[in-house]
Amino acid sequence: MNNENTLLSIQNISKHFNDSKAVDGLSLDIYENEFFALLGSSGSGKTTLLRMLAGLETPTEGQILLDDKDMVPVHASKRPVNLMFQSYALFPHMSVEQNIAYGLEMERMERSLIDKKVQEMLEIIQLEKMAKRRPDQLSGGQRQRVALARALVKKPRLLLLDEPLGALDKKLRSEMQLELKRLQHEVGITFVIVTHDQEEALVMADRIAIMRDGNLLQCGTPQEIYEHPKDRFAADFIGEMNFLPGVVQGDSIIASSKRKISVMSTNGFEDGESVVAAIRPERMSLFLENAENSIEGKVHTSAYHGMDILLHVSTEFGEKPISVRVPIHSVGDKPFKAGDSVTLYWYEKDTRVFANK
Amino acid sequence: MNFKNKMSSVLIAPAFLWLIALMVVPCVMILVLGFFQRGIYGGIEYNFTLENFQLVFDSLYAGIFLSSARIAGTATIIAVFIGYFAAYAIATSPKKWQPTLLFFAVLPFWSNYLIRTYAWIVLLNREGLLVGFSKWLGIDGGIPSILYTESAVILGLVYNYLPFVILSCYAPLARMNPDFREASTDLGASNFTTFRRITLPLSVPGIAAGAVFVFVLSIGNFITPALLGGGRFQMIGNVIYAQFLTANDWPLGAALSMVLIGIMMILLMIQASAAQRSIGQKNKEQLDG
Amino acid sequence: MVKQPYFKRRLSVLAFVFAFLYVPISVLIGLSFNEGGLPTVWSGFSLKWYERLFQNDAIINATINTLIVATVSTVIATILGTMLAIGVEIRRKNGRWLESIIFAPMIIPDIVLAIALLSMFSMLDITMGLDTIIVSHVVFNLAFVCSVVRARLKGFDWSVVDASTDLGASSITTLRRITLPILMPAIISGGLLAFTLSLDEFIIAFFTSGAGKDSITLPMQIFSMIRFGVTPEINALATLIMFASVLALSISQRINRGVVS
Repeated sequence: MNNENTLLSIQNISKHFNDSKAVDGLSLDIYENEFFALLGSSGSGKTTLLRMLAGLETPTEGQILLDDKDMVPVHASKRPVNLMFQSYALFPHMSVEQNIAYGLEMERMERSLIDKKVQEMLEIIQLEKMAKRRPDQLSGGQRQRVALARALVKKPRLLLLDEPLGALDKKLRSEMQLELKRLQHEVGITFVIVTHDQEEALVMADRIAIMRDGNLLQCGTPQEIYEHPKDRFAADFIGEMNFLPGVVQGDSIIASSKRKISVMSTNGFEDGESVVAAIRPERMSLFLENAENSIEGKVHTSAYHGMDILLHVSTEFGEKPISVRVPIHSVGDKPFKAGDSVTLYWYEKDTRVFANK
Repeated sequence: MNFKNKMSSVLIAPAFLWLIALMVVPCVMILVLGFFQRGIYGGIEYNFTLENFQLVFDSLYAGIFLSSARIAGTATIIAVFIGYFAAYAIATSPKKWQPTLLFFAVLPFWSNYLIRTYAWIVLLNREGLLVGFSKWLGIDGGIPSILYTESAVILGLVYNYLPFVILSCYAPLARMNPDFREASTDLGASNFTTFRRITLPLSVPGIAAGAVFVFVLSIGNFITPALLGGGRFQMIGNVIYAQFLTANDWPLGAALSMVLIGIMMILLMIQASAAQRSIGQKNKEQLDG
Repeated sequence: MVKQPYFKRRLSVLAFVFAFLYVPISVLIGLSFNEGGLPTVWSGFSLKWYERLFQNDAIINATINTLIVATVSTVIATILGTMLAIGVEIRRKNGRWLESIIFAPMIIPDIVLAIALLSMFSMLDITMGLDTIIVSHVVFNLAFVCSVVRARLKGFDWSVVDASTDLGASSITTLRRITLPILMPAIISGGLLAFTLSLDEFIIAFFTSGAGKDSITLPMQIFSMIRFGVTPEINALATLIMFASVLALSISQRINRGVVS
């Protein structure tokens, strides 16, 4: 990863609104040509960070280096950075092509060149036929594409996207996720996307930064973040996770029921420390050979999801049932009923250990 | 369903008949009256004629129409100019102050029109504060009082209708998605360019509504010319009043009214249909916002 | 984003506008308490102009007339306007003509209605007086009452009417026990609005009052006094009226807002 070229370097940046610290001393590097996702729940500071990159908020302190040049003193209108707004902010009194041309007109570009670039952009987003339409005559997905085109046509060094798919319905959203990824490859511009949807971040991004309380919790590739979450919060935030409470004893964890849970290592924890063992539902199974761990339980609820069945199994590991995803092909047509006895198996390599807090 | 309709008709009928008898019928009567002759001692001779309309378009009355339109137009331009910037200043103030600022901008509108006009007589008359103030400043003999001039009438109209213009210009500004302005800045526009190309065009519905309102109420205004103009010069409302109550030429008064009402209604209808058209757009904007 | 550089400009625009709006009124109010009555010399605080006001027979008569006009026209308009609102909303789908006729009195410039009524009364040889003012005021008053009540009805849950019917109430009983009580705040608010408008109304009253001295309303009285120039008595009267109408409108709005939220 380190051989990538750093495009943007955020250094110890903070933004305070009166008493509250929206962003608090955050540092982060973003590489050239990557698709980067800022992931966090509302209030995590991700949107404030994005707005500081665009120049719409002034940082309380810290530096934003773009191509090694500090952007903080540069006015929003002069930065080679463009933002695609969550609301799209398409100008309602201008047609699609006027909207796209607007940013180029601000650069005092020649008319013929503007027309040519707008035309190219319309082709890329496949809306040539809609050029004369007003935004209110477009569907949600079309508006989203126009907003994207309007920002992209200026060929910014960095394109910021604030919840770009938030306003679309579910089906269109998954289509647009791939479409955005394709577009990013095609235009070769660095994308920084803000989202609260972890699935969206996993699908689209090359790297993800999880934000919490104005700071960075963890940064890495989707796989790193999914497989090796840094702490209990990150593990819970990305995907689903079962947490089995216990205490450390040597290389294993002893649950409150005295049952032993084997894990790869308990490095960093002391004997007797209160921890949780974390296992993803899809890493548990009803049939598994040589699994180090197992537990008997009774089916609490069973929900059919098409490609798998989600079982909630009551066990001796606390009051909260354990979630298990059972692939359809492994169980055939046999339905589960509440109260059925089952045994859950999982490998120690799939078990993570976090401090219990 | 049938029962509901019957009940609704019973409930609607009295008010409906009242409005027909005292609004629709009188308006239709004006239409008719304009085509009759004046009686020798006042009153009406029921002979069809177009004389009244020839008179309306003759130089005297046409001139009064034109000067009324000029006064109303000047008042409209000034009121819209001040009102728009006031609305803009309010709309860009901190959110928590906006309702209060707006409330105080509109509050004078709630007090009596005559009294608001009278307040200017108090300020402007020859023994009034403004003249006294200018004397105190040492201007020789004081500046001349503008009371009973066209300027005073325009001033009075602007003063009386300004709150409405502020209100109607504020509506589109407050409703405007703030992202529009930021998007424009992000795309490289200066503040002035953003104002000229985004904010101003999007405020046009409010500006138009305010302008039509001020113009329509100014051109037919009766009180302000009578009080601040001192009756020394006439706007069309005063002339019509005189035809009915002093000159006793009802048919001519009706013909003048018809033309005035025509002008007003055409403007109001244009504005209403323009507003109707922008409603669709407005709903979509709100979706975006 | 919008910070310091605009702050000053905004402040000066607002200062100018609010000064323009409030200086004339404030001067007027101030002078009404000026002992000497001269506009340019302050000779001490006094309520003497208010006392004089209450000894002026013309003003007292005009005030009585105005109260009669406003009260009677408000009562009629509130009854008719409420019926109209309920009738129109029950039906839900109304013709464009009906909607325009209901809406028209609120947007027609006063002078148009005044002239039209004057010419009709003149043509039909109707003797004009307080009664013609009253019936004319009902025209716009009922439209305002109707619009306030309709606004309330828009958020009205019609299923309560069905529920009342289901529980065995007749439609009259339902109206009396369910619909009207729910609408009452809006009706009172609409009535107060109508009352204030009628108190303040000048043009229509002026045109439809005829020549008689007995039918002079307070705004008409003020109008004729103002034409003769500035007196401290008018200042006092103007101050009183201004506070009365602002107060009445505030109450009307408060009552209605309480309902909505």
